[in-house]
Amino acid sequence: MGSKNLRIAACHPTGHVVLPPGKIRVMAEWVRGRDVVSEFLVQNPHLAQWMESLRGYCETNKQWRARQEFILRNMETFPSIIPGVYSPSLDQLLSLSMVWANHVFLGCRYPPGLMQKVLEMAEGIVIQEVPVRQMRDEIMGKGKRSNPSGRETDSSTKKLKAGGNEAESNSGVRAVGRAGGAVPSKTGPPPQAAAEQQPFFNRLYKSVAWKLVSAGGFGPNLDHFDILRACVEASKASLICVFVPLRDIPDLPAGCAQREGQVCELRCRTVYMGTGYGRDEDSARAMASKEALKVFQGRKVTVRICRRRFQGRDVEDLVLQDEQARSSALPPALSYPFPPEQPVTPPP
Amino acid sequence: MGVPAFFRWLSRKYSSIIVHCLEEKAKECNGVRVPIDTSKPNPNEVEFDNLYLDMNGIIHPCTHPEDKPAPKNEDEMMVAIFEYIDRLFNIVRPRRVLYMAIDGVAPRAKMNQQRSRRFRASKEGVELAEEKQRVREEVIRRGGYLPPEEIKERFDSNCITPGTEFMDNLAKCLRYYVADRLSNDPGWRNITVILSDASVPGEGEHKIMDYIRRQRAQPNHDPNTHHCLCGADADLIMLGLATHEPNFTIIREEFKPNKPRPCGLCGQLGHEIKDCEGMAREKRGEHDQFADSAPTAEQEFIFIRLSVLREYLERELTMASLPFPFDFERSVDDWVFMCFFVGNDFLPHLPSLEIREGAIDRLVNIYKDVVHKTGGYLTESGFVNLERVELIMQAVGVAEDNIFKKRKEDEESFKRRMKEKKKRMKAEQRPSFLLGGQFAPQALGGRDRPQPVHNARHAAFDMRMNSRDQQNRDAAQSLKAMMRNGNSSQTPTGSSDGLDGRGVKRKAEDSDSEPEPEDNVRLWEEGWKQRYYKTKFDVDVTDETFRRKVVKSYVEGLCWVLRYYYQGCASWKWYFPFHYAPFASDFKDIKGMFKEFEKGTKPFKPLEQLMGVFPAASGNFLPETWRALMTDPDSSIIDFYPDDFAIDLNGKKYAWQGVALLPFVDERRLRAALERVYPDLAPEEVKRNSLGSDVLFVGKSHPLCDFIQELYKSGTGEGTEMPPELCHGIQGTLNLDEEPILPDKPVESPVPLLRDLVQNQAIGIKFKDPHYQEDFVFKAVILPGAKIPSKVLKPGDWERSNQGPFKPQLGFNPNRQQAHLDQSAFRALGHSMNRDRQRGGHYSNAPPPGNYHQGNYHPPHGGPMPMYPHPRQHVGLLGAPPPPFNVQPYPRQPYGHQGWNRAMQGQGGAYQQNQQRGRGGPSGYHPRHDRGDPRGPAQGYSSGRSYPLPPPPARRYNWN
Repeated sequence: MGSKNLRIAACHPTGHVVLPPGKIRVMAEWVRGRDVVSEFLVQNPHLAQWMESLRGYCETNKQWRARQEFILRNMETFPSIIPGVYSPSLDQLLSLSMVWANHVFLGCRYPPGLMQKVLEMAEGIVIQEVPVRQMRDEIMGKGKRSNPSGRETDSSTKKLKAGGNEAESNSGVRAVGRAGGAVPSKTGPPPQAAAEQQPFFNRLYKSVAWKLVSAGGFGPNLDHFDILRACVEASKASLICVFVPLRDIPDLPAGCAQREGQVCELRCRTVYMGTGYGRDEDSARAMASKEALKVFQGRKVTVRICRRRFQGRDVEDLVLQDEQARSSALPPALSYPFPPEQPVTPPP
Repeated sequence: MGVPAFFRWLSRKYSSIIVHCLEEKAKECNGVRVPIDTSKPNPNEVEFDNLYLDMNGIIHPCTHPEDKPAPKNEDEMMVAIFEYIDRLFNIVRPRRVLYMAIDGVAPRAKMNQQRSRRFRASKEGVELAEEKQRVREEVIRRGGYLPPEEIKERFDSNCITPGTEFMDNLAKCLRYYVADRLSNDPGWRNITVILSDASVPGEGEHKIMDYIRRQRAQPNHDPNTHHCLCGADADLIMLGLATHEPNFTIIREEFKPNKPRPCGLCGQLGHEIKDCEGMAREKRGEHDQFADSAPTAEQEFIFIRLSVLREYLERELTMASLPFPFDFERSVDDWVFMCFFVGNDFLPHLPSLEIREGAIDRLVNIYKDVVHKTGGYLTESGFVNLERVELIMQAVGVAEDNIFKKRKEDEESFKRRMKEKKKRMKAEQRPSFLLGGQFAPQALGGRDRPQPVHNARHAAFDMRMNSRDQQNRDAAQSLKAMMRNGNSSQTPTGSSDGLDGRGVKRKAEDSDSEPEPEDNVRLWEEGWKQRYYKTKFDVDVTDETFRRKVVKSYVEGLCWVLRYYYQGCASWKWYFPFHYAPFASDFKDIKGMFKEFEKGTKPFKPLEQLMGVFPAASGNFLPETWRALMTDPDSSIIDFYPDDFAIDLNGKKYAWQGVALLPFVDERRLRAALERVYPDLAPEEVKRNSLGSDVLFVGKSHPLCDFIQELYKSGTGEGTEMPPELCHGIQGTLNLDEEPILPDKPVESPVPLLRDLVQNQAIGIKFKDPHYQEDFVFKAVILPGAKIPSKVLKPGDWERSNQGPFKPQLGFNPNRQQAHLDQSAFRALGHSMNRDRQRGGHYSNAPPPGNYHQGNYHPPHGGPMPMYPHPRQHVGLLGAPPPPFNVQPYPRQPYGHQGWNRAMQGQGGAYQQNQQRGRGGPSGYHPRHDRGDPRGPAQGYSSGRSYPLPPPPARRYNWN
């Protein structure tokens, strides 16, 4: 079956080789561990030599195999690459492949947009035993700041773990990037997500509490959004605001007469924090922030999985609550960060 | 060399190599500073010919000092650099050449280190700024006071890299500085200055070495030139040894560990930024008059005498019963080579060789064995005999297993000891509660006897009341604070239970078990090799080809480094493409692993190198389109610039000791990407990107000046050979400068703080080191005609030679006279010490310094004698440290030592100094307390004889 698939990877009319990514993915799952790349190169000997010239001197076989796969898979998106000729687009592909390899094997981190891009490009490449690297912050954090967030910040390896399910990690194989072969296809957050998120929100709680103390306590005259954002960013995460015009919301409570204005929903690391309404986006956001900060007024915050409405159906959502759970009055969700076919992945 | 421990090890083991510098300080008279006349003899009793400055060692501390507030702007930095050079010049006082070398573009092999340093520096800088901001906010919120934030940009030390505007500006400033000093400073009048700025490729110290090497190889070189090289890097010692010049001295700042640093926020000493509380500044002195004075002593300098190091090495390396005559020079080269195993800037050090664990001694022992066995040395003039190196490596490899085990044991026992020490310290701490007032505990046998307790009941009542009041005050304060902060129920004080575990964790940390970095390699356990390759290189130990590849690269590296030190850069392209070294035991069959380096490689251009070593955060030093290559996700070299990177502690404790796992730069892709943005360079940038040339400056009174002026007049002086007889045998090629500094042409000051130089007397011209064939081999030998300086160390057979007690040499001059108190000082001493204490007191046993008695035992001469045996025996005037009182006056040796004073013959100034000195010292004063010591007068007499320095009679009679 594997070889049959490989034969599909024939020459493109313009002379370059196309390796259909979809097929490869299927195959990668199927053969699992068999060396797809070398098989492919055996059948395309004219490419083998050229590929070998792209190898870095210090690359190990394992690293090179993975990077080769990355290059071959993505070659079709750079149609101007001609094997055997150095060109800017080839260099760009090589560069992206190095970004990915550096991330996976050395533990380097790049700007979020770039990371997202290469992880998407690498979708489905399977690497056995990804090395564990310690980021600089983690080391520094230990000595200088008593900031326990270092541990939880999504380092490459942590993320890799989140990507694979138990079966995979048992067999010592991890899918790199999002969506390997075997992924739970259940809708909503995975059951362990709430527990996973809890430590982060404990820290956030702490930082919010301090911030409020310094701002003179919780009250109506604060810039709630600013405080919340600063705290979230101080905890090395980002606040995601979703705006929806009020009239576009289907599940409005019956008693609501207003039809104009904006509604804002705040999430942090996919966890819902609050919803607010206002005449414009800014005031909606401020209101949502105020609501979110109210949650922090209790003695602690908890991440829970709650049922709530989203686009007319009931879904399970991750919600931040104080200790008295009042799940009854949750406003309908404006966004839903858990696509049905993917597990929870913190944004890279 | 990237081995901070190396210098410490060296200076402990071979302690006599260090001589403290004597520095003449500028005097102030009515608020006017009197400049020091550096044309006077050197107070260190030695005359240096050439002074070489590795400028980067000066630029860094001057631009971002660690022990004082940073200069406010670039101009202040420049002035600080000028002052630093002045200071060095005053100490060293070169008589022939001053060579200033700024790091230019470095070979590729160095680039990885530079890259990792700059990536780290950039991250650390941002972190520091963030922390400052955070603490500042906090302090101000708590009502503390902080001086207002200075309006200045954070100085990015990364700009000290060739190709930046800063470096360009620095070169301009240094030209001005040189012209100014040549015109105005008498000490500079006759020297030749060579300035090699950042546009000339090569690291600073290696440009200096190249200069020395190329001068040595030409026939006019004076083999007895005394070199003095300034810089703190340990590899300067290696480089100095590699020259095989007999007179080579290194000057560096004295290393003082644990110097207090001022807090970055409030500028006060005693705490770090994170502990800053914004307290009011303490007054310094009664009227705060010491506010600006540095709290610590000014950094002092030390000399490192390589001739003494050579003596030590000769003792250590000399091998008896060799089948061939022992050649010390060759074995020095081998020693230098072996030091590279322990660490250098270009290769990671072998895991089993750690300098603190006596790795060099181990290597030397193995080395002697190998030389015996194979009948030859490891290296010759910078070329390596790999067969013999393999034997050394195999010998280390055999011990490797045990080394790792021993290391672990030592670590464990160290930890245990520290733990016990901590426990002890804790036990010794005072109890947390102490009674005060009349109940306070009192030392036994103290001055005031313990008093009986009066009115105990009342005292107890007072104490009770006091503590209650205190509690009330505390409560009131906390209540106030609560009210200020509004609703206090939300403060997290009450809610920390189980939420973050921070309180609990802190406790665990305190209980003396610091979190250890986990070590997956566990070199001390069976299977370490496999684990090492697996975790560090991500390969299985069975992957023989990969392991061979690493070993091959390392072998190439060793060859490259040695060649770099002895012959110059063999290949600008070569680099070690891994983050870790292999094991010594992996060096098998390495004989054929290295043949020759690629010929004709070219260094990077300055801006290209910037692209290679800078993180994206330092992109502001680059033109815009170039900068975009570092940040644009579609850039074809975006992978060189990660935002964040992993650090492998590799068994170390701190992040800065670890290995930064940065990707290597693909030169082909870098060049291809840059090709497209080259057209975007502005003319100014094109100029900065070009390779420059060394510039030679002389003053008007220098014999070379007229010659150069002729060249400029005729305008045809392209590639003129420099006449060696005009300038102490220095050779080189001169080329006309496009924007020359010419006599009587004013030099504009690039620093607003300093005035333009209107009456310029200096002339500048491009200078090129003498050229040699490409396959020319610089011989690593002592030149014929070189005189080896006389021995300093105590000969091993001294006791048998019956020459009396050995007299150690403290400075450069074996006949140095000890500094001493003059008679008024002794009078003062005698006055303030009461008689009955004299016997048991500190000073009673000290024989008086001998030469005080010369007046008593020697009939006074008619006047000062015109011919002194040695012009520079008297140090006292120039601030020599007073000797301990119990120093024995050593029998003086005849003045046969002429090593240092060649350049001194014509200096008349010394005599005057001596005369003054002579008047002050001797007298008829006879301290009381030496009467009981029969040796005193006798020694005084004998030393008086060897120094027939008569006091002027008039004075003497006045005193008596």
